[in-house]
Amino acid sequence: MNATATLAPGLPDGVHDSQQAFRAALDALARPGQVRHIGPALPGVVLGGALARLLLSLSDDETPVWWRSTDDNLPQWLRFHTGAPVAERPDAASFAVLTDLAHLSALSDFAPGSAASPELSCTLLIELPALTGGPTLEWHGPGIARVQRVGLQGLPDGFWPQWQANHAAFPQGLDIIFTCGDEALGLPRTTRVRRLEGV
Amino acid sequence: MKHNKLTNDYPTRTAWLAVLARATLAELESMAPAKSELPELKSVRPPEIGMVMLRGRVGGTGNPFNLGEASVVRCALRLGDGPLGVSYALGRDKRRAELAALFDAMLQDPQHHDALQRRLIAPLAQLQAQARAQTQHAVASSKVEFFTFVRGEA
Repeated sequence: MNATATLAPGLPDGVHDSQQAFRAALDALARPGQVRHIGPALPGVVLGGALARLLLSLSDDETPVWWRSTDDNLPQWLRFHTGAPVAERPDAASFAVLTDLAHLSALSDFAPGSAASPELSCTLLIELPALTGGPTLEWHGPGIARVQRVGLQGLPDGFWPQWQANHAAFPQGLDIIFTCGDEALGLPRTTRVRRLEGV
Repeated sequence: MKHNKLTNDYPTRTAWLAVLARATLAELESMAPAKSELPELKSVRPPEIGMVMLRGRVGGTGNPFNLGEASVVRCALRLGDGPLGVSYALGRDKRRAELAALFDAMLQDPQHHDALQRRLIAPLAQLQAQARAQTQHAVASSKVEFFTFVRGEA
């Protein structure tokens, strides 16, 4: 059987669903740490609803997507619907899909953009087990009135020191959208993160 | 993508896709099966209209150049859990693309393949070949040969 045998459909209502997801992504990055609802999972797609919808809304034929897994079905599904090519190396990607937290790549593997064009950086889409209930951190920065308390679950220990380095490189740096099921939460490069307990 | 995924199950698939892409709506509609005869249709990519750049070559052999854009409509759908049918056609007729994709899916189904090949594709291919030959014949009579006299030595 050829590979098109498992191809899943895309957004049910291409125009409006992608506009909604795009708006939610803008909101998520403008108000870091606030949870945004994106939409339910798509039939036949193993990704969470928010992650799948963001990919379909944001990627196109000029944005290579890096996939952690070697499963061929998802890249093919995205390519069919948006034309997004697969990035061979993490630093060539415009978007990176990270669903396996045990093997989370180092943030420095991805392209931070250049000083002249910081917008050419990579945006990470990371699927977490939950967006609340984890160790509480204080987020500060543009888009946050005073302080935003966020408790992301499932991130490895080495993640936040890497994030500090990413924040320090401003205007270069990565932006992250964390997703969980139908919901998403933004962490742009401008956000400073401080631990409440411990370090 | 290393081998041709489109045709490795059916070597003649490109041929029938070409025939379906050129067929008119009336021709396809006349053969369309009733909804009740088919398993449920799942739309993988609903019919959508876009544009493609047409490229030409100077004199048919020279450097390629962009001739202009043409509207196309494309569609992909699945018959139940069976094969995926796809279609691309010039124009903006969504129903035509949907029917062409449906026939492509049915042609990949061994149950329908032979009957459709005999009753739909073969007659249409013949009609299209005739029309093409006729146009070529009509145009050939107006062909102008350009040539330049070599200026003789003085």
